[in-house]
Amino acid sequence: MRDLFFVAFLGAMLLLGMRRPFLMVLGYVYVDIVSPQHLSYYLLNSVPISLIFFLGAVIGWLMFDRKQVLTFGPRQGAMLLLLIYCYFSTENADFPLEATEKWNWVWKVLVFAIFLPLTITTRLRIEALVTTMILSASCIIIAAGIKTAASGGGYGVLNLMSDSNTGLYESSTLACVAVSLIPFILYLRRNSTIFPPDWRVSLFCGALCFACLLIPVGTEARTGLICIAALGVMMLRAAKRPFLYIFAAAFLGLASLPFLPESFTKRMDTMNEVQADESASTRLAVWRWTIDYVGIHPMGGGFDSYRGNSFRYEAKTSSKFDPNAPAAHEPGSTIVIVDQGRAFHSAYFEMLGEQGWPGLGIWLFIHVSGLLRMEILLRRYRNRAPEDGHWIAGLATALQQANIIYLIGAAFIGVAFLSFAYMLIAMQIALDAYARRFERERTRKPFFSAKVVPA
Amino acid sequence: MIDFLSLFLSHGLLLLAAWRLLWRGDLDDDKGPLDTRKQPKKWDATDA
Repeated sequence: MRDLFFVAFLGAMLLLGMRRPFLMVLGYVYVDIVSPQHLSYYLLNSVPISLIFFLGAVIGWLMFDRKQVLTFGPRQGAMLLLLIYCYFSTENADFPLEATEKWNWVWKVLVFAIFLPLTITTRLRIEALVTTMILSASCIIIAAGIKTAASGGGYGVLNLMSDSNTGLYESSTLACVAVSLIPFILYLRRNSTIFPPDWRVSLFCGALCFACLLIPVGTEARTGLICIAALGVMMLRAAKRPFLYIFAAAFLGLASLPFLPESFTKRMDTMNEVQADESASTRLAVWRWTIDYVGIHPMGGGFDSYRGNSFRYEAKTSSKFDPNAPAAHEPGSTIVIVDQGRAFHSAYFEMLGEQGWPGLGIWLFIHVSGLLRMEILLRRYRNRAPEDGHWIAGLATALQQANIIYLIGAAFIGVAFLSFAYMLIAMQIALDAYARRFERERTRKPFFSAKVVPA
Repeated sequence: MIDFLSLFLSHGLLLLAAWRLLWRGDLDDDKGPLDTRKQPKKWDATDA
């Protein structure tokens, strides 16, 4: 049943894409985010649907799209440079087989991110991309949100419709992405022309925002809670009545405490005892190893270089006694942990360990320059009239907030090559180019201007 | 059951969005018509 559903949906998207080729681009975005192959049981597993939509998008763009507004920005150049750099680091990787496996999907992410801004040339296309990203992710978020509200979820327990632990089906990644979507949902609720604002749109957007906030609760991902806090602080900047906002946020936060599952509050409590939490201590040990590693290999060790790590460190057991989970050691005692081949658990250290200082530098340039460009757009357009590009400020704010949330979440998850993040970058590039064209059109004086003759 | 509800809702809205985009002239050009179905056809034009 589920297989037939996906086949029918993808068939419909392909048919619509034949009429309007840009829909093929949206189809690829959908396939990349949802990965229907992971949700299908047998029908789609052997069909290269990503390839079909990608070829459709490229051919459609080459044959039918306008090329007058073609732009290739510095960040696309940086992504191209990163792509080439990753190729060479894969050629010289510490673990060639594993590195090649990762390279096989990383290059596709980067190529699509470079290509995407070329296709997003109008305001409606930008809006269509945001809408597609939100609705695609909502497929997982709505289900996870309802399950959380019904059962409370749990760490590694919440069923995200697929057993796959990749992309958005990894709980911490989903929590980070879900929170980063909230600014976009709030933007579309006011500015969408595909679904013009009315009570149904407001209801759906409100419910979806609530579901997004429930994801960190359901998955018990600590990263998600940090992302929510960061979003709360950033939204304070845009609040018209900051004191009312702080009061309302504090009230809602306190009021929600009794409804949170006990397992969630316990897990969040572990953030106060970093030394007692094995997960956090292991991360710190891996990060220390990475810094030592790039001291010897400044150009990085290629994809999956973490497989070469091994370390031994001392950790303290929790000082709190939990009768439900009796520990093998005395509370507060020191234990020795020996481990090896542990993943980076941080996009920053992932870039550093795999691509070295140059790779990390390029990656940071791509993200930080995007944040700065969005800040420039935000300041330029926020006081404009609605018909004079005010929406650009709204979208720039959402893109900036989403990117910051991603960068904060990325400190604790190895998502340096998350395709969703590169779509954000592509959208930033497209919005930037669109704003430049918009400004050019606005300031362009007509060649044959009518002469005003004084009476 | 919850999974199906989520799938139907999100995919239904995705299809609706795609369907609405199909008729939008401003998808390819900002100056295009908002709805190509509402464009007067040549043979609809009345002679003055």
